[in-house]
Amino acid sequence: MMLRTEEMILNVGPQHPSTHGVFRLILKIDGEIIQEATPVIGYLHRGTEKIAEGLQYTQIIPYTDRMDYLSAMTNNYVLCHAVETMMGIEVPERAEYLRVLAMELGRIASHLVWWGTYLLDLGATSPFLYAFREREMIINLLNELSGARLTFNYMRIGGVKWDAPDGWIDKVKQFVPYMREKLHGYHELVTGNEIFRQRVTGVGRYTKEEAISYSLSGVNLRSTGVKWDLRKDEPYSIYDRFDFDVPVRDGGDCLARYECRMAEIEQSLRIIEQACEQFPPEGPIMGKVPRIIKAPPGETFVRIEAPRGEIGCYIASDGKKEPYRLKFRRPSFYNLQILPKLLKGQNLANVIAILGSIDIVLGEVDG
Amino acid sequence: MMEQWLESTPSWSNIALFFGLGALLLAVVLAFVTYGILAERKVMGFMQGRIGPNQVGGRFGLLQTVADVLKLLLKEDTIPKAADRPLYVLAPIIAFTPSFMVLAVLPFTDSFRFADIGVGLLYYIAVSGLTTIGVVAGGWASNNKYALLGGMRAAAQMISYEIPLVMSALGVVLLAGSMNLVDIVAAQKDVWFIFAQPLAFLIFLIAAVAELNRTPFDLPEAESELVAGFHVEYSGFRWAFFMLAEYVYLFAMAALVTILFLGGWHPVAFLGWIPGAVWFALKFCAVVFVLIWFRATFPRVRADQLMEFAWKVLLPLSLVNIVLTAVVKAWFF
Amino acid sequence: MIGLMKGLAYTLKELTREKVTYDYPHEPLPLPDRFRGIQKFYPEKCIVCNQCVNICPTECIQLTGKKHPDPTKKGKVIETYNINFEICILCDLCTEVCPTEAIVMTNNFELAEYSRDALYKDLAWLDENDTNIRRENKP
Repeated sequence: MMLRTEEMILNVGPQHPSTHGVFRLILKIDGEIIQEATPVIGYLHRGTEKIAEGLQYTQIIPYTDRMDYLSAMTNNYVLCHAVETMMGIEVPERAEYLRVLAMELGRIASHLVWWGTYLLDLGATSPFLYAFREREMIINLLNELSGARLTFNYMRIGGVKWDAPDGWIDKVKQFVPYMREKLHGYHELVTGNEIFRQRVTGVGRYTKEEAISYSLSGVNLRSTGVKWDLRKDEPYSIYDRFDFDVPVRDGGDCLARYECRMAEIEQSLRIIEQACEQFPPEGPIMGKVPRIIKAPPGETFVRIEAPRGEIGCYIASDGKKEPYRLKFRRPSFYNLQILPKLLKGQNLANVIAILGSIDIVLGEVDG
Repeated sequence: MMEQWLESTPSWSNIALFFGLGALLLAVVLAFVTYGILAERKVMGFMQGRIGPNQVGGRFGLLQTVADVLKLLLKEDTIPKAADRPLYVLAPIIAFTPSFMVLAVLPFTDSFRFADIGVGLLYYIAVSGLTTIGVVAGGWASNNKYALLGGMRAAAQMISYEIPLVMSALGVVLLAGSMNLVDIVAAQKDVWFIFAQPLAFLIFLIAAVAELNRTPFDLPEAESELVAGFHVEYSGFRWAFFMLAEYVYLFAMAALVTILFLGGWHPVAFLGWIPGAVWFALKFCAVVFVLIWFRATFPRVRADQLMEFAWKVLLPLSLVNIVLTAVVKAWFF
Repeated sequence: MIGLMKGLAYTLKELTREKVTYDYPHEPLPLPDRFRGIQKFYPEKCIVCNQCVNICPTECIQLTGKKHPDPTKKGKVIETYNINFEICILCDLCTEVCPTEAIVMTNNFELAEYSRDALYKDLAWLDENDTNIRRENKP
């Protein structure tokens, strides 16, 4: 006798512990094997780009904080960078150093959250708390600098809002060896763990060509062996002054992405170390900026390397205080496109492993 | 003393006595569950850079679990509209009852035990297998896809891991020459079986963790995949029953490991003046600690890897262990 | 196996490490001076220049002014000043543009209320909110 079997539709999210926010997946499953996956996004859409059309450039900065809320500094920077490029504003050196320090600290914090939540997705609880312990120190540092823990609103067109408080640079210097030691512990706890390696090796694999054709960026691209990091290849700010490597892996699977991110934390620590040493003892933190900021008519597109990939900002201006059109190239959104392809034929446990390894932030996906 | 009661002629006072003792054991087990959960939260907290519960019941959160249970009692008892009602109501009971039944054969000290049956080990394994039915029934009756997946995983996992569990325990049975748990403990007077059967101990421990559905084998209720697995629709006291069953099994399994491999109530070397009950409790706590420690460290294995591990690694290893034990026993004893 | 053992050793070492949690509701959270909490407003300093209203990205500030009661003096004085804390995002731009530092930030961040009405902070409330005022308000 043949038993009648049928496929079933499983709705994962928007309220599911592992969708990292309000992401929804409609899975057609046969047993635990995925036949088809349809992502549904938009639950956190706030229309940032449309709102921005009615706001002055300075007013848009707090809105960018809320896109990729795990590394708000890079979002701040991409907007300021775009406006500065349009207006030809020179940013003082000290401000650039502060920006780089803030962005790299943010990158570490963002990767730490990824590491903790990824392991939580894989069923280990402790790494999450370790990661947040270290992240708390970064958050405290950035809190001292900018006055907020997540939504920093720190950068301004032409510079930064605050100078570094007394002793702040020393605290950052002390943080670097501390984080290195903890990172070593992380590798001991997780990277060598056989259960963990079995879960991620060979899972969610894609090739170099696929990554490029799906316009993936950041770690998702570098894990396939493409050495492409805007900090090196199109240096913005003062990144050409630092000596650091771009971690690349060839695997293209979850393990490669894991290793890339962990190595990036190390490289960010190197940048922070050098930036602290080179930090100019004195100098202005704001460039010469007109009282009313008006971008000249025309358009511009800038892109930088955010923790999740290339974040771009396109501004079309008609010479007013507000942009005529503003668009962000939000890396999480683009990186997510490959998900349905990766999920096909996987089982339910791998869905979580793959989704987690792409590292999305829903505030950014939905804009 | 228990021996005399067990062998005395049945009478009303006898029944009352045993009922009272049963209630006493239940109280002991519930106390263990209460403080076992607290210990788990505390140990995990300390391993994770935090201090765990510290609000209810003083600095150490001694009444935290009590408060949690009271909260569960106050919660609304929800039953999904499309659920299979009788089965839904029955499932937590089916899951819990066997967990308490298995305690009957566990000898805690040489005098404190309830039933002294010849096939104690077999009884434990057989009765504990019944819980699977409750879990699958709960998953099915909830009429929820996550619950169903969880229930199916639970069934597959518990059945697969029961085999290496029994097979590894067979090595102990061969050495002791009995399936009676009292005899098994008696056989460890000089050498604990953890030293005579290290491989069996390892396999048994792994299979026991899988049987208990604890990390790294907590697939049936995998929080990050299945939300809560088979009990996703359960709330209030019905949910508490599933949790209670889980922790009573933790109690039973830790006790069983102590009995089979750690020499039960036998003292270490010259420390014989410390009573057996204390020794049993110490070994028991060590096993529980190891289980909590695992939970704080490991990620979860994947369903297919879990099955492969049981059938392709643990089962052959335990068969090798049985053959080796038999050969050693035949030639050297 | 080695990886598993290393992991177990790591968590065991963590068992005795110093704990890092805050005892938050019992002990106040240590906050840096720059921390942005709810605003404090000095009515006597305000010159009703409307810059804060214009810069606010969420348009949560509303104010009205009136003629100076002393006829010998020019300018206006503040009459009403409301911040809608349902939509305020504490971005700090209002204090940044204020020429007289009439509106400044405090470190008070415990803003939960039982009713939405309580989230409309008026002039009197903002004037009385005079604890933990930020010392350094301009960069």
